[in-house]
Amino acid sequence: MMKSFGIEFVPMELYWRTTYYTIQAERLGYDSIWITDHFNNRNVYVSLAVIANYTERIRLGPGVTNPYLVHPVMTAQSVASLNEVAPGRVICGIGAGDRTTLDMVGVEMKAPLRTVREAVEVIRRQIAREKGEYAGKEFRTTAGARFNFRVETDVPIYIGAQGPMMLALAGAIGDGALVNASHPDDIERAVKTIRDGAEKASRKTGELDIAAYTSFSVAEDEKSARKPVVPVVAYIVAGSPPTVLERHDISVDKSEQIRNDLANRKWGEAFGAVDSNMIDAFAVCGSPDQCTEKIDTLFKTGITHFVTGSPLGPNVRGAIKLFGEEVLPYFKDSP
Amino acid sequence: MVKSIPATLREVLAEKLIDVMLEAKDGSKVPSSLAKTILFYWQRDQLSSEAGLINLLQGVAYADPARAASVIDDFGLKELKLAFTQT
Repeated sequence: MMKSFGIEFVPMELYWRTTYYTIQAERLGYDSIWITDHFNNRNVYVSLAVIANYTERIRLGPGVTNPYLVHPVMTAQSVASLNEVAPGRVICGIGAGDRTTLDMVGVEMKAPLRTVREAVEVIRRQIAREKGEYAGKEFRTTAGARFNFRVETDVPIYIGAQGPMMLALAGAIGDGALVNASHPDDIERAVKTIRDGAEKASRKTGELDIAAYTSFSVAEDEKSARKPVVPVVAYIVAGSPPTVLERHDISVDKSEQIRNDLANRKWGEAFGAVDSNMIDAFAVCGSPDQCTEKIDTLFKTGITHFVTGSPLGPNVRGAIKLFGEEVLPYFKDSP
Repeated sequence: MVKSIPATLREVLAEKLIDVMLEAKDGSKVPSSLAKTILFYWQRDQLSSEAGLINLLQGVAYADPARAASVIDDFGLKELKLAFTQT
């Protein structure tokens, strides 16, 4: 499988700014655009529909939606409709979602593995306009719950995963996996778990597109690149399980302290507690040369796709340009 | 007025004006129809064309007129600055 490169946008920005950046990314050779899906930002499918209108080649989709806030028949409808605007370019990222965000609207994250598995099944059935009812434990559709329109091309489904069971599920049923990690050790473990999941499901691992969905920042110099990742890393440290923290020599007590400070909106304290080791564990950042080296290491773990996630850099437009002109050519020009 | 901008400056000026558009706090003041027109020119890589610059100048006039005027000033485009500040 060819190495491919994606970029994530959080639609907090005005739609035309996000669209501007996606046109820029397409022109520079990125392969995929992932728009996050959070109820408190702009709508993911409205954002994607506009982007689809202004791009020609790049693949695009939610990265990631979740089946707790959006019923899978609606996700299927959304990606299928988007696929008419951008035929053959649509991809669909789905995961269990973010517990904190779900808590805000009183939605419980029940049985995440089963819920994601069934959601993927429902989405695929809807897109294929399968006849007959679907009777899962979390989702049910009657025989009549079919689209009144055909979907001409397939929509690959990527499963967003971090924990071992969700990673194995991605290997078992996903067209691809979006691994929420940035460190080579974490990604290497994830790739192995995904492949094990695929093999257990009697699938060929080569069919899977495994993406490292990283917290990323590039700038002309390392110091400028590291600064913007601090808030993102603070949230990752606060939300990481003890096993992951211990793997990176990060104290659980420190993580708890950051979590408390974030909860109490003590940004200075929370961000001030983020150290260099935490940044190295949970972000890919640095100068273009440093990023190239780190990404090269990540590809050696077996990933096939690298996604630059938030914050991208101290200046989004500058970061996309720097990545597209100084990092991408290293990989695109080599086999 | 855009016609008075030397061809050699157009691309760099467009770059600076795009920065103003993307970084302005008041980006929401840019009318959606104008933003879409600017995207149309960007998609075709024509923001430094005469038509592209006209639309960009209109955009920055909504988004951050003070910074835009300063950018135009930096380029020594007196006529353009006068026209820009009068609109």
